[in-house]
Amino acid sequence: MKIGRKLTLLFFLGPALFIVVLFYIVPLFLSIYISFTPMTDWNINRYLTQFIGLQNYERLIHIMMYDPDMRAVIITTAVFIAVTLAINVFGGLLLALATYFMDEKLSLAYQGLWLLPRMTPVAVYSLLWYYFFHSSGIGLLNAILMRLHLISHPIALGLDPKYLPWGAWFIIIFVNGLVGVSYGMIIFYSAFKSIPKELIIAARVDGASTSRIIRHILLPLTKWHFTFITVWQMLSLLTSFAQIFLLVEWRVVDSTWGQTWALYVFRTAFTTVKDQGLAAAASTFLSIIGIALGLVALKALGYKKMILEPKGDI
Amino acid sequence: MASKGLAIAAAIIIIIIIIGAAAYYMTQKPAPTTTTTTSSSASSTSTSSSTTTSAAPSKPVLTGNFEKDVIAIGKYLESKGIHTVKFTVWATGDPNSVMRMYGLYEAAYKINQIWEKNGINVKIVMNKFWESSFKKLYDEFTSAVPQGTNGDFFVNSYIYIANLASQGYILDINSYVEKYWDSVFKDFYTPIMEAAKYKGHYYGVPQDTEARPIYVRKDVAACMGWDISNLAQLVKEGKFTWHDMYKKAEEAVSKGCAKWGLIHRKGSAHPDLIQFIFAYGGKLYDEKTGKLVLDVPAVYKWFMTEYVFAQHKLLPKDMMSWDWAQQIHPTVVNDCKGSPTGCTLFFIGGTWHWTEWQTKAYYYDPSTKKQRPLTPEEEVKKFYYTLFPAGDPGDKPVTLSQPFMWMIAENAGKDNPNYDQLKDVYHELAFLMVVGASDPEINAIHSVISGHVPVRKAAAALLKNETWINDLINMKLNLSPDVKQAIEPIVKKTASKINIQFLANVSYMLEYTHLAPSHPLYPKLAGFFADAINKVLMGEMTPKDAVNYLIQKIKADPQLSANVEIVGSIPSGWSFP
Repeated sequence: MKIGRKLTLLFFLGPALFIVVLFYIVPLFLSIYISFTPMTDWNINRYLTQFIGLQNYERLIHIMMYDPDMRAVIITTAVFIAVTLAINVFGGLLLALATYFMDEKLSLAYQGLWLLPRMTPVAVYSLLWYYFFHSSGIGLLNAILMRLHLISHPIALGLDPKYLPWGAWFIIIFVNGLVGVSYGMIIFYSAFKSIPKELIIAARVDGASTSRIIRHILLPLTKWHFTFITVWQMLSLLTSFAQIFLLVEWRVVDSTWGQTWALYVFRTAFTTVKDQGLAAAASTFLSIIGIALGLVALKALGYKKMILEPKGDI
Repeated sequence: MASKGLAIAAAIIIIIIIIGAAAYYMTQKPAPTTTTTTSSSASSTSTSSSTTTSAAPSKPVLTGNFEKDVIAIGKYLESKGIHTVKFTVWATGDPNSVMRMYGLYEAAYKINQIWEKNGINVKIVMNKFWESSFKKLYDEFTSAVPQGTNGDFFVNSYIYIANLASQGYILDINSYVEKYWDSVFKDFYTPIMEAAKYKGHYYGVPQDTEARPIYVRKDVAACMGWDISNLAQLVKEGKFTWHDMYKKAEEAVSKGCAKWGLIHRKGSAHPDLIQFIFAYGGKLYDEKTGKLVLDVPAVYKWFMTEYVFAQHKLLPKDMMSWDWAQQIHPTVVNDCKGSPTGCTLFFIGGTWHWTEWQTKAYYYDPSTKKQRPLTPEEEVKKFYYTLFPAGDPGDKPVTLSQPFMWMIAENAGKDNPNYDQLKDVYHELAFLMVVGASDPEINAIHSVISGHVPVRKAAAALLKNETWINDLINMKLNLSPDVKQAIEPIVKKTASKINIQFLANVSYMLEYTHLAPSHPLYPKLAGFFADAINKVLMGEMTPKDAVNYLIQKIKADPQLSANVEIVGSIPSGWSFP
């Protein structure tokens, strides 16, 4: 490649690269660096230059081996990511398909409705679900079920051992899924809209049913988007904790079976003793898992094949 | 084509470089100086000039004489061209504990008056930040100090002193306290003053303390046919234990007199539930080794007590997730019949709840079908109070205090000019403000309006002074206009002879008080207690499993394991109730 072309590329890629390096790569390395220090309570002046080798990793492995809650943390993380991801991707796809075949005005209104959870501030959104799933009579779900005479006493869905771990998982997956699904819906919907109308009309003229149009036109032409949403949402879920943290903190969800790895990192870094060195070690694990999962997903979804230059006639 | 693109790219880069260079030049260029001569106004913010004509005062050193020290610091700051000193207080607590902020406002007002009287052109300007959750404020403070965005004063529980001191986030005020020992701190109650220490040094000054009485509903007891007139004495003598508490709670519910036998705090085990450990003769700290203690027999008995209460539906299983305003307080204060929440026989509360119920609309009035605060007279009619009973016969009754402290941030005064040169002086001034805020009158006002117990004898004496009480009720005290305006609505609702009598009645409880350990890792251990008791209440774990869970949690963390002694074993042959 000529130097001129390289410079042009660098110029156009530069701003984006700069942002990626500043906000993604630098924090990642900073976090890895902190994992080798005894950082607590953000005491940067005291601990930033103290190097303690692998002590935090040794502690983390010890905790993972012996802490009675860590098994639940790992299982919850896996279940949370797998199920919420499926909801986000396939739920988003279903919503996009439904709205694609709707009347335009109705479709926009419907999409707007699904976007509400995403537009609501996290604390307010979580508070809504706090009062919905609350374990006593003040919880809306309990009030409705009692009014319908389906239950005689309030149930603590996210706390009662009778419903654990399923109740806690249901709440965190439901609350996060409702936010995430709109993302897939928007991307898939705009992808469907970008497909030339002629293809659909021609298929209709040839007598193709809606399901055949979906299977043979819409889905094959949106593989890219499917890959993007799957990988993006998976990595987002791996690190998301905000709603879960509030629901656990407010004790609507069990603190053991409602805790994902990302929440464990956050609670270790920001609550009680604020052990940022240990939290950084735990987050390094999370980063490694995230990178590995991302690569596996890209490979499984045929990313390489998709980025090959087209082989057809030009 | 490529060369054209290259030319465009090069042109844009050059433009960006020019804009960047211009921006850099603008930021480096010094702001226009405003040469201001010393203003006669005390509120002048000029810092760039000094019109010192006589010999500059030497750097002040605290002497123990408040007025003399205030004048010396004022003169020194003035000589350095400082005319405004900004301080911010970060405080926390129940809605009536606003004197945790305004105490310092009042101190600033008094200092400003001294300076004005002596012709010193310096003024303290105060700012405040209030957070209702003391844990949240602590989290915010520890995150803010490294960034320098913290408050100069931090008013919070003494349990954080150990960690904040070990991190170097708060000021070691030992030498200052020594200077003011005879004139101020000798008057403070010794155990409360000791709570301000970490490794033998003072890092805080007590602001208030409290007791945690068990409130007993008189109407429920009457419904059961239970004469409680001598209950406090029986508890005091250890003749009424938690086993008896269970029997009475069970009787109240089975007779239909109350929906619940017992209600307590939500969320955390510290501080209210920690009382169980002391009531069962356990301990949390080993003085000899300086380590935390997991007292297995006492913790097991605590868990078993709550487990039995919850299993028999005398205590809500989801108690730890109840809502304070919508569930806990209404259940404690509401009438047993005709209210949406029902009521309870016992409540593990705190002295501050006595005035909180008079200012917050928790009570559902069946006659108007609206919520309103209780009146002091209604509270007397409704509640009896006693110490936290002994666990088993032979154990002692207890209460637990969590003294709040005035703490000074290690970077106090950071928002003022010439901080690096004048740091020590700002620290001394901050300390003098704490001395001012420790004034007996301020402490006594706080006690009356917030239901806390005074930390010094002079304040306790004021609560027995009829003239002073009347002056407070009629708001005739010599307070700054701002503070007067801020506390007047609370004073109107809470400053009554009944409330002052309440404080007098509960003050004996301090003789039975315990303090949670001042250890950097105590908050972590207390967090495990909260998770464990929640699992016990919900029936997720038996008390035995929960104790083993705690042991596993401690052993799993090498840092905690090295700092916690696990003593004793699950008692055999012990049963509850």
